[in-house]
Amino acid sequence: MKTVFSALMLCILLVPAALLGQSTVKGTVTDQANEMPLPGVNVLIKGTTTGTSTDFDGNYTLNNVNNGDVIVFSYLGFVSQEIVFEGQSTLNVAMREDAAQLEEIVLIGYGATTKQDATGAVEKVGAEEFNKGAIVAPQQLIAGKAAGVNVTAPSGAAGDGGSIRIRGGASLSATNDPLIVIDGLPIDQRGGSQGSRNALNAINPEDIEDFVVLKDASATAIYGSRASNGVVLITTKKGSANQPLKLEYGLQVSTRRVANTLNVLTADEYRSFADDPRFDTSTLGDASTDWQDEVFTTGIGAIHNLTVSKGYENTNFRVNFNYASQEGPLQDLYERVAFNTSFVQRALDDDLKLTLVAKLIQDSFDYVNEGAIGQAARFDPTQPVRNPDGSFRQYSDFADNAPLAPANPLWQLDRNNWNSDQTVQRVISNFNLDYKFWFLKDLRFVLNAGIDYAENKGSRFDRGNPNNPDAVITPETSRGLNRNTNLDFYFNYKSDVESINTVVDITAGHAFQEFYIESYVNRGGNSPLEDTDINRNALESYFARASFDIDNRFLISGIWRADGSSRFGDGNRWGYFPGVSVGWKIMNESWMEDSAFSNLKLRGGWGVTGQQEIGPNYGFLGVYTPSRNAAANIQFGFDPAGNPVFIPTLRPEGFDENLKWEETTQYNLALDVGFFNNRLTASVDAYYRETDDLLSFVPVPAGANLTDLLFTNVGSVTSRGIEFAVNGVIFEEENFNWNANFNITFQDYEVTNLSLSNDPDFTVPTGGISGGVGNQIQILKPGFDPTTFFVFRQVYDPQGNPIEGAYVDVNGDNQITEEDRQAYKKANPDAFFGFTNNLNYKAFDLNFTFRGAIGNYVYNNNASDTGNFNSIFNQPGYQANAHADILNTGFEGQELFSDYYVQNADFVRLDNISLGYTVPMENVGLRVSLTATNLFVITDFDGLDPELGGGIQNNFYPRTRDIVLGINLTF
Amino acid sequence: MMKRILMMCLAASVGFAVLQSCEDRLDLTPEDERLTADSAFDDPDSYEQFLAKIYAGISLSGQEGPAGQPDLAGLDEGFSNYLRLYWKMQELTTDEAIIGWNDGTIQDLHGQVWTSGNEFIRTMYSRLLYQVALTNEFLRQTTDAKLSERGVEPELRDEIQVFRAEARFMRALTYWHAMDLFANPPFVTEDDPIGAFLPPQIARADLFEWIEGEALGVEGKPGFIEDMAPAGAHVYGRADQGAAWMLMAKLYLNAEVYTGTMTQSSFTPGPARYADALTYVNNVINAGYSVNTNIPYSHSFLADNDSNGAQSEVIFTIPFDGLRTQAFGGMTFLTHAPVGGSMNNVATSFFGINGGWFGVRTTPTFVDKFPGDVDNGNSPDGRALIWVDGQEKDINTVGTFTDGYGIFKYRNVDVNGNQGSDTTGDHTDIDFPMFRLADAYLMYAEIAARGAGADAGTAANYINILRQRAYGDTSGNISASDIDLDFIIDERARELYWEGHRRTDLIRFNQFSENSVWQWKGGVQPGNATQVFRNIMPIPETDLSLNTNLEQNPGY
Repeated sequence: MKTVFSALMLCILLVPAALLGQSTVKGTVTDQANEMPLPGVNVLIKGTTTGTSTDFDGNYTLNNVNNGDVIVFSYLGFVSQEIVFEGQSTLNVAMREDAAQLEEIVLIGYGATTKQDATGAVEKVGAEEFNKGAIVAPQQLIAGKAAGVNVTAPSGAAGDGGSIRIRGGASLSATNDPLIVIDGLPIDQRGGSQGSRNALNAINPEDIEDFVVLKDASATAIYGSRASNGVVLITTKKGSANQPLKLEYGLQVSTRRVANTLNVLTADEYRSFADDPRFDTSTLGDASTDWQDEVFTTGIGAIHNLTVSKGYENTNFRVNFNYASQEGPLQDLYERVAFNTSFVQRALDDDLKLTLVAKLIQDSFDYVNEGAIGQAARFDPTQPVRNPDGSFRQYSDFADNAPLAPANPLWQLDRNNWNSDQTVQRVISNFNLDYKFWFLKDLRFVLNAGIDYAENKGSRFDRGNPNNPDAVITPETSRGLNRNTNLDFYFNYKSDVESINTVVDITAGHAFQEFYIESYVNRGGNSPLEDTDINRNALESYFARASFDIDNRFLISGIWRADGSSRFGDGNRWGYFPGVSVGWKIMNESWMEDSAFSNLKLRGGWGVTGQQEIGPNYGFLGVYTPSRNAAANIQFGFDPAGNPVFIPTLRPEGFDENLKWEETTQYNLALDVGFFNNRLTASVDAYYRETDDLLSFVPVPAGANLTDLLFTNVGSVTSRGIEFAVNGVIFEEENFNWNANFNITFQDYEVTNLSLSNDPDFTVPTGGISGGVGNQIQILKPGFDPTTFFVFRQVYDPQGNPIEGAYVDVNGDNQITEEDRQAYKKANPDAFFGFTNNLNYKAFDLNFTFRGAIGNYVYNNNASDTGNFNSIFNQPGYQANAHADILNTGFEGQELFSDYYVQNADFVRLDNISLGYTVPMENVGLRVSLTATNLFVITDFDGLDPELGGGIQNNFYPRTRDIVLGINLTF
Repeated sequence: MMKRILMMCLAASVGFAVLQSCEDRLDLTPEDERLTADSAFDDPDSYEQFLAKIYAGISLSGQEGPAGQPDLAGLDEGFSNYLRLYWKMQELTTDEAIIGWNDGTIQDLHGQVWTSGNEFIRTMYSRLLYQVALTNEFLRQTTDAKLSERGVEPELRDEIQVFRAEARFMRALTYWHAMDLFANPPFVTEDDPIGAFLPPQIARADLFEWIEGEALGVEGKPGFIEDMAPAGAHVYGRADQGAAWMLMAKLYLNAEVYTGTMTQSSFTPGPARYADALTYVNNVINAGYSVNTNIPYSHSFLADNDSNGAQSEVIFTIPFDGLRTQAFGGMTFLTHAPVGGSMNNVATSFFGINGGWFGVRTTPTFVDKFPGDVDNGNSPDGRALIWVDGQEKDINTVGTFTDGYGIFKYRNVDVNGNQGSDTTGDHTDIDFPMFRLADAYLMYAEIAARGAGADAGTAANYINILRQRAYGDTSGNISASDIDLDFIIDERARELYWEGHRRTDLIRFNQFSENSVWQWKGGVQPGNATQVFRNIMPIPETDLSLNTNLEQNPGY
């Protein structure tokens, strides 16, 4: 094709002058978004073969243009422009990127397709759609951007990332994290490194070209046993061919302050209880300290990115250096130094393409004692921060014998008393070879060899409770190693078989991946421990996909994968995961030609995927564990000198020989529509998903195994949902553009079966809470959402105040027992949505993203645990502060299981708002921006934050509100 | 072109190599200190270490001290310890102890209002059956066939025969606990496989017979007693024939309960076996154990109770060590949980710990069993280790620690007041006396009181040994005519309180559910009698729904 095109160009250039009455037009084509020149733009006179393309500087010269000719400017990924020639000598064009570009290439795992040929639920989020701000965790780039993908906001802790849930996840006890594939290398679902708060931080957000989210099983089945929770394919930036040297520098400086704190009694409110006869006023201080205000400060962050890229005819490279530091409001610190490189080499007339991506990352975490958050809520607010002598005020200074009393939270934050750090050094590298066979250009061979290697090293120091004179220092050092090696290859044959008017695309391949994890810990103190754990597991896979595009109308695609996992015994080792999907491009039917639609496609799919991420590696094998430290020995007699003889113990572990894959079957039905030349596009996906043989940690029949709870295949859950996404260009004027994206996901989960015996009444308590040991507030129960709360129904007095200990006698037996606890509300939302707007006016741009959820509930454990008088008076040797909810309830003791504490937590959060200005300058691109994140939350929930993954609010590191100033320079 | 063919060959060979090398790489086994069953027994010490795990089943909660790698996952690790749970079942359900914590349904134990969903009862049940499964696995791994297969040396094989006898004793002990608490538990032996099968339920009377057969032998299978070490001469911390005789004596003493018939509203006792009980009580009494009346009663429960002289009466002990045998259950719990209020002011100096847990106290019903001015800490009976300072006698609020007198029986200091080996005061050195001679003396006296063969005069002598130790002189001595059943049940409380006997004793005397009240029994402050079916714990709901072979006990 390229040669044909070149020949054509030659003709055009050689033939010219002979014809008269024709003019020449010149100009520059730029990218409207950043005013950078666009090389390689096709410039063509409509209806002819006369044309040219722009050079490296975006300049073009087009000869032989007649008045009235229509000149078409087209470039992949941009909206084509048509301009009528009216004798201008210069014609500069600014091209706008096309968000709804249907020809866009979309990765689908071991291959690619185009958006219009995709049959599965596949969503691509490109760099231009990413959230703005000083983002250190890659997943935050796409929060709120894609239907069916729920990315929770991270806590305020430095370097935290938030979780990704695609269609809510499919498991109960096994992981619900999606499989993440970075440039062809599937990352360990356990994170890939130890000691990190968010292992995905190893990827510099600035380095990411796009995310592709595979949601339904007909798309994910190609990743078989790891695909039940969806797959996220991350492609990093590579530079492009024939690209002039480009130097970019970006800086983002941010301040971070907590957006909200716990509602505890003020010093005056606390003092107001001094009349109570139980109140020991002798300990009362005369200060008024807001401990939370004392512990939370302003965190400062900075992210630098320096990128160099250049493309030649046969090779191109991109090198990025990144330094990021992020401070939490507790002065915890996250730092990343990363060096990201990519090289692309083309050879053999472009038949061979070699891509090497290598990232070197050092993630450092300097943790602080987050226990200070809880202690700040409990420490007597009438005490000063420091004693007159300058030392930290402790309970031991004013209360006798209170070794269990809270420590001064500022003392705890002092790194001399508690510190912990972890440094992770990691290499993520993938080598890709893509070869077209010379005898059959339609046949390709693709090979990926990847490694993700991380070493971590850290230490921890804990001085113990300062109120306890006997406390000992507990020092700890740890180190670890994670190694993930992957080798896969596949053959791909893609050809337009004209005889049957069908494009055939067939892929078949093999993959082997091994994970090795080593963890060493050496802990001192009262129960010394030195131990090395080694875990290795491996996956071997065969996969194939066949896709047919018949007459550019009907699409059929089939996927099959076989996975062998070392985690299962011989008979259950191999799992088989098929998927089938079909599509009908209704738009291309002849009878649609004059319709109002510019796109209309119906898609449907079915697939089976698996789950094997269960934690234990040898769950099918009986193993023996010796005592891990000398504190777990027992005495067998005395030695001749009369000293006790201690011997270690050896424990056989419980196991399930028949452990096998968890299987998820998913159905997807979808409609894609486009109007006004795809200025307005929308998709609706409906899915139904059923997970069987859930890998769950469930009770086993007593006596039948060497444990009480076992990882085994039990039960099933179903989920169903509707995802709706609409993209529209609202304004498209010369100086003003406005496009918007709205997506909403309605979802519904249900546990359908839980037990080995299929007993519909069998339930499993979950959701551990504080306030007593072993108390749980949620329940897994057939017929209910897995995050359902399990509570007593509170009785209220005529004034609407809860009556302590008075609950509805649901079963009418005249006593309140466990039997009266009811399943009530749930933490999972009924729906969640994202709403993004991008506006451009001249050189200004404004982006903002709202995110929210409806129908989710949160249990306020802070209030239930300490919103009572017991938490003030009845403490072992001291008095402590209470949650301010005590002013509402007046509860004497904990009423942990009252539904009073389960509160609606619908919310709308302005996640992100960013205003940018591109400074008009010659040769240099300069953009400055101001971004605010988590600016406000609209909610009725009166706790700390309505968005808590598990639905239990308990000493959560509060989210921050960040203000970010950004500068981007491009040369 | 050549280059391309080379490339192809290279790719093909890489692909081939990969396929070849992968297959075996899916067969992975542990590479750290964990071992497969095959490799575990390469080390001759492993047999003793496995036996140690069975003993540790009572004292420890997992493979990492004090917590970590728990044996059971269904409850907080510290709460899931065997001794701690057994103690709660036997003591919190009675007049001897009440706990103020609000951990789940823990207060239902004292109230006798538990349901089959109670997680403490459930975890006790799990722990008992776990211990049985552990022992079964030991017996499976030490059969003659297995030992021959592994080429175990003859000396070690002889030693392993004793190990096996002890393992069978430990299993019988646990099945006795299971029979006592749950009456009709699931029943598994070394003849069953490991895995997700449904164990059958055994009737209480059948389990009684099985334990008896295990100890004494049934046709073709010798009993474990004969293979055990002689009484009183064995390695400290391990069970010998003395422990086994004590188990048999308890089995027979409670035979009417264990072989009787329970319905929701009534209980019909089975045949009495006091004569058999007497045989084994006499075996124990004559085995050389002794109560040293010169050593105060309180010394039996101190950090150095393995060496301060009090150990001479101990028949079977569960050793703990502040540094080497750490767990949040066991003696750590028994020492910390009762300390609070003004006791906490002397937590280190008097109790040898770093602070109380403000949990367990006792009821006025128990306090009143002691003579003298107990309210002011003056009882002539030295066994009244009752803390009154800052405490109210009556329990108006269960959650308020200072309601109800405290008990300072277990203290982590030696006879000179020095703290135990763990200087942080977390874990204690006190060894738990599971069986001691005083118990055997009282059992003898009880058999006498029941007119079942024992001599009343001898019984009085035995009791007076205990009372001389308690009073420090003969002022508390009794005569044979003082011994009746009411005296025995109260004297057992005075001598053996907080040692895990009370529930079983009260049931034998028919005073556990019906016929008795104490504060907060029945869930009300003054106390209410409860129905007789509460003498048996419910089979946990979770296991009932899993194991369709099981039938719930009456009343639940």
